Amino acid sequence: MTNSIPEIRDADFLFVIGSNTTEAHPIIAMEMKRAVQRGARLAVADPRKIWLTEIADWHLQIKPGSDVWLLNAMAHVIVTEGLENREYIEANTEDFEKVREAVLRYTPEEAELFTGVPARTIREVARAYATTKHAGIYYTLGITEHTTGTDNVYALSNLVLMTGHLGIASAGMNPLRGQNNVQGANDAGATPVFYPGYQRAADPEVRAKFAEAWGVAQNEKKGLNLNEMMKSMQRGEIRALYIMGEDIVISEPNVCKVESAMNELDFVVVQDIFFNESCRFADVILPAACFAEKDGVFTNSDRRVQRVRKAVEPPGGARADWEILVDVMRRAGMKQPDYAGPGEVYAEMAALAPKFAGISHERIDREGGLQWPVLGPEDPGTQYLHKGGVLRGKGLFMPVEYRAPFEEADVEYPLILSTGRTLYHYNAATQTRRSEGLSKKQPEAFVEVHPRTARDLGIEDGQIVDVVTRRGRVRCRAMHSKQVKRNTIWMPFHFPAARTNELTTDAGDAVTGTGEYKVCAAKLEPVDEHSLHTFPGSYLTPSEVAEGE
Amino acid sequence: MSDSKFVVIDGSETEYREGETVLHAARRLGIEIPTLCHDDRLEPAGACRICLVEVEGSRLMQPACAFRTAPGMVVRTNTTRVDRNRQFIISLHLADTVADRDEAEDVSISRLHEYTEKYGVAEGEWQHVGSPREGRPDDENPFIAFRADRCIVCAACVRYCDEVEGVSAITLANRGGRTTIATADLRSLDHTTCEMCGGCIAVCPTGAMTEKPALFYGKPERELEKVRSTCNFCGVGCQIDINVDRNANRIVKVTSPPPGTTVNDGNLCVKGRFANDFVHHPDRLTVPLVRETDGRLREASWDEALERAVRGLQGVKETHGVDSLAFISSSRCTGEENYLLQKLARAGFGTQNIHQCAAT
Repeated sequence: MTNSIPEIRDADFLFVIGSNTTEAHPIIAMEMKRAVQRGARLAVADPRKIWLTEIADWHLQIKPGSDVWLLNAMAHVIVTEGLENREYIEANTEDFEKVREAVLRYTPEEAELFTGVPARTIREVARAYATTKHAGIYYTLGITEHTTGTDNVYALSNLVLMTGHLGIASAGMNPLRGQNNVQGANDAGATPVFYPGYQRAADPEVRAKFAEAWGVAQNEKKGLNLNEMMKSMQRGEIRALYIMGEDIVISEPNVCKVESAMNELDFVVVQDIFFNESCRFADVILPAACFAEKDGVFTNSDRRVQRVRKAVEPPGGARADWEILVDVMRRAGMKQPDYAGPGEVYAEMAALAPKFAGISHERIDREGGLQWPVLGPEDPGTQYLHKGGVLRGKGLFMPVEYRAPFEEADVEYPLILSTGRTLYHYNAATQTRRSEGLSKKQPEAFVEVHPRTARDLGIEDGQIVDVVTRRGRVRCRAMHSKQVKRNTIWMPFHFPAARTNELTTDAGDAVTGTGEYKVCAAKLEPVDEHSLHTFPGSYLTPSEVAEGE
Repeated sequence: MSDSKFVVIDGSETEYREGETVLHAARRLGIEIPTLCHDDRLEPAGACRICLVEVEGSRLMQPACAFRTAPGMVVRTNTTRVDRNRQFIISLHLADTVADRDEAEDVSISRLHEYTEKYGVAEGEWQHVGSPREGRPDDENPFIAFRADRCIVCAACVRYCDEVEGVSAITLANRGGRTTIATADLRSLDHTTCEMCGGCIAVCPTGAMTEKPALFYGKPERELEKVRSTCNFCGVGCQIDINVDRNANRIVKVTSPPPGTTVNDGNLCVKGRFANDFVHHPDRLTVPLVRETDGRLREASWDEALERAVRGLQGVKETHGVDSLAFISSSRCTGEENYLLQKLARAGFGTQNIHQCAAT
C-alpha cells in the first residue's frame, strides 16, 4: 500500500476493485464502512454482488477478466473531459501522452460491451474519482490473479498518476495483502527477483554485496518464480524441493499436473505445522512451531513491521522454523554467526538492507510497529509513500491494451469460473477447518450459481454437482445465489476434498507468473445423489479419517 | 462565548479544541473520568450516566462523553456531588447485575466492578432487583455467549454492531426492566447477519457478552497472561493479545488491544479472535518423519531427519546441478525465517530458485 490503513476512514472517495474486503480483510472493511458513514462515496468493481456493494454508491458488476477495458475507459473519460491533473502530470510523471493516445479508443460505450458495466456508470465513477482530492484505490487478487495481472496494475497506476492522487494522505494505490506476511516475505528477499530490501538480484553490485556479506559467491543465473518452478518441475529440470509453510498441492493452480510432477521428484523436504497434502510427496517432514509459539516479525499491508511473540510452547518435538533452518544451515556447512534469536537475524538483515536500517526488535518493542522505509534509528518511518514527488523520480505511465483471458466461455464450457476466499476460512484451511466453530458455520465446499443459470441447467439449490474444466472435475454442492451474474460461477478454494485448483489454469502473468485463478471456462453437471454413499465435498481432518476407519 | 483559548478542568488548563468532548479534554490532562457505555469508536450515547461532571454555569451535571467543550469552560470532576453520583450509579447497576466481583469476573474483566472498588461502593447497598431480562439460552452459535443477568443495557454492543461492524445483528428489545439485547425473533446469532467478529464482547463493560470457548474453559481473564502479538491470518496485521493459561501451556482466548493504540483500532474479525483451535489441535506434527525405501513414513530423531534433509538436497545438487533445487518459502512464516530460507538457498546451496506463494 502506498498509504496506511488508518487513513482509509478519512478518504472521500474509495474505488474498490477486485477485493471482497469484508470477507478477506474485515478490519480494513470496517475502515471503509466508517468512511462511507462519514459521507465518502464508494465505487465497487467486482463480478459478484459482494457485501460492500450494499453500501456502495456504484456497483460495477464487471465481467471477469475485462478490467483493462474498464480502467482504460475510465482513463478515457478523464482525458477526454479534461479532468486530468495537468500540474501533477507535468511535475511528476513521464509518458502521459502515450497513455492518452492509447485510451482514446476505449470509449465507455464500447467498454459496456466488454465489461457489462453501463457507459453512464463508467463516466460517473471516473468523474467522481478524478475530481475528489482524497480518493484512494484499493485492490487485491481480483486484479493480479489474471494472465493480464501486470496490465491491470499498470492501468490502475495510470489512473492514479493522471489524477495525482499520490503522495497525500487518504489516497494512493493500495494493494491489500492477502496473508499476514506477504509483504515481509518479499521484504526479506524470498523471491528470485530481489535480495532482502528490494535490492535487485539482476544487479551484479547487489550480488557482490551479498557475496561479501555471506562469504559465498552468488549464482548469476536468474532464479525461477513459483509458477516457473512448477513448470520446470513438470519438465523434469527441478529435481528437489524444500517447502516451508506452504501447501502447494492445494494452493497452486492446475494441481493435478503439479501432483504428477511432485511424484517424479528425487527429493522433497516439507517443513510445516500439519501433515498437509504436500507431505504425501515428502521424503523428510520437519514439524514446525506455529506463530503463537515463536518470536519474530510480520510486515503487514501498509509496510508496518510488527512483532510476533511466543505465547506458548510448541507441541512435542516441534521447533520454530528459524531454529530448524539454522540447524540445516549448520549441517550444510555454512559459515554464519550463531544467532541467539530472531532479533539477531533481523539485525543481520537490517544491516544489509537500507530500507530497514532503522528497524530492530528492541525498537519495535519500545515504540510499536514501524512502517518502512525506516532509514535510521531516528527516522520515525513512512506513513505514506511518494510524498513530495514520485520515489523513482518520475512516475512512469504505462499504456496497456486489452488482452482476453487465457480461456473464455465457449460452446463446450459455457460458464466462467472465478475463485476466492470466504470470511470463515483461510486459504488451504489447514488452520481454520480445525476450528469447530468455523467448520460449523461453513462446513463444506460449494459453487455459487445464478438461479436462472441453474434453472436452465436443471440444478436445484443445494444439489450436488460436478464442476468441470479442461483440467479437472470437482464435486461440491450448488448454491443458488444472485451474488453472481448469469453464466458466471464462483467457488472458494479452502476444501481439500473438493480441490478448486484442480480446475483453475496455470497460465500465468508474463511478468509475475501469478496464475489466472480468477477466470477459466467451466461447465456444471448435476450428479445423481442416490448414487453416493458419502458426500465428498465435506472435509475430514486426518484424525477424523482415522476414527472413521 | 469567552475569548479564552483554554478549557479548565479541576483547576488545570488545556487548550480548547473545536468539537472535542469533556472526556477527551480531560484525558489530555491525565484526568480519568469513568465510563461504561462509551467507546471512542462509537458516537457518544450518554446512556450510563456514570461520567456526569459539573460544568460551571450549568445547573444539571453533564455527561462528559457527549458534552462538548467551549472556550473558557470550567469543569469539575472531583466534587462530592460528582462522587456521589458515581457511587449512586454503580450501586444501581450492582442491584441489577451480579454484585460479587469474583463471580462477575468468572470469564472477562468487568469495568463496573473495577469502579466498584475504585469508588468505594459497598456491595449490596441496594437490594438485588434482578430484572426479568430475557436471554437466548438456545443460541447455538459457537463463539458468543450473552448472559442476560449480567447486562446493564448500556447498549455499547448494539451500537458497535451497528456503527462499526455495520451488520446490525443485535438490537435492544422490550421496554423498562425487560429491556434486553436480542436478535430478530431471538434467533441464534449464527442465523443472523452476525459475522462473529466479537466486537460486542470487547466493548461490554460487565462481561455479559463473552467468549463461549473461554466460558467453557472456565478460567478468569485476570488469571491469564496476555502476550501481545500479530494475527497470523490476513495482511492487515491486527495486534492481538493472546491470553495464555501459563500452567497449562494453553491459549484460552484472544482479545484486542484498546482502541486507538494499534492499526486495528481495537477491532478483530472472527478468524483473529476465534480461529485459534489449530494451535492445540491433535493433528499438529510433533515428531520428524522420514520416508523408508518401501515408501512408508516413520518417526525419526531430529538428528536423523536433518541429516537426511541436507544429504538429500546435496545429493541432487551433485547429480543434477544447483539449479535443479528449488526453495519455497512462506508468507505465513516470519520475516526472519524468510530471510534465513533465502540465505540457505543462495548462500548454502548456491541457487536463486527461491520464492513463495505471495508474489501478487
